[in-house]
Amino acid sequence: MHEVSIALGMIHELERIARENNAKKITNVKLKIGKMSGIVVDSLTFAFDAVKLENPVVSDAALSVEEVPLVYECNDCSKTFETDNLYFPSCPVCASYKLKIISGEEQHIENVEIEV
Amino acid sequence: MCDTCGCGHEHKVIDVNQSLLKANDEAAYANRKHFNEEGILAVNLISSPGSGKTTLLEKTIDALKHEIGIGVLEGDIETELDAERIRKKGVPAVQLTTGGACHLDSMLVHKGFHLLKLQLKGKRLDVLFIENVGNLVCPSFFDLGEHLRVVLISVPEGHDKPLKYPKAIKTSQALIISKSDLVPHFDFDMEKIKKDALSLNPRLKIIETSAKTGEGLNEWINFLIHRLHR
Repeated sequence: MHEVSIALGMIHELERIARENNAKKITNVKLKIGKMSGIVVDSLTFAFDAVKLENPVVSDAALSVEEVPLVYECNDCSKTFETDNLYFPSCPVCASYKLKIISGEEQHIENVEIEV
Repeated sequence: MCDTCGCGHEHKVIDVNQSLLKANDEAAYANRKHFNEEGILAVNLISSPGSGKTTLLEKTIDALKHEIGIGVLEGDIETELDAERIRKKGVPAVQLTTGGACHLDSMLVHKGFHLLKLQLKGKRLDVLFIENVGNLVCPSFFDLGEHLRVVLISVPEGHDKPLKYPKAIKTSQALIISKSDLVPHFDFDMEKIKKDALSLNPRLKIIETSAKTGEGLNEWINFLIHRLHR
């Protein structure tokens, strides 16, 4: 349910971006959401589509979401690997638990397409 | 004319590259800076509804109110009930009602902190407790500018909660296992909950407490005092 708050904050930022770039409208918003960000993409899209209607600058904006896979690098053998195991991953080569996260925690706006 | 849709307008792509939580994170940074400047330890308490956050606060206030200055921000969806409980203990409290939102954000904490300062009337504040809205999911996403995040899980909730709500465990520095006097009445595996919590967050401080029998309360108080003087 935090997705509604996140969508509201996003609309606020999009309004600012539209103002600063003299945009008539925002037509597309590209997001990067990591697998381990804790944001449910369907919930965020649902929330965004509901709250955007209150503001004509963003009411036609579509969301395109790039889901970023969870990638770790092993501190012991330097192997880089992708995994679906969100919380207890280990290295597939040497079984080490000493891992560094490379991607998967992203929760940001990459770019927006505007109509001027 | 637009090549993509022929709409007659010019389209441009603007690189943004900023966090979705930017507004909250910036306000959290400002809160933390403000607390640091005034030497205040800010503690964010998170848990499911009914785990005993307010009761733990009442016991903490009883133990410490003559030693240090305490203030409380009480987060709830509705009502002043919790703030009234805290004020009865002789400590200033501001109720933050979110009107539906399932978590506090740092902008609301900023506002609450200034309202609390009006109640303090110049009295010294050492520890600011922020009792979040009862919810084990959403509060873990929102940095409030706190120094210490403490998650409570009560015995009746079950030992499986760390694995089910990993973000709350991973982002906290301490876990209070509350209502420990109820262990004999529930199928609650104390070793398992500790093992699971530590595997998610090896640096987590774990304290078993019972507001009923007083078990663990000294350990909790000592932990707080240690953090305050660090």
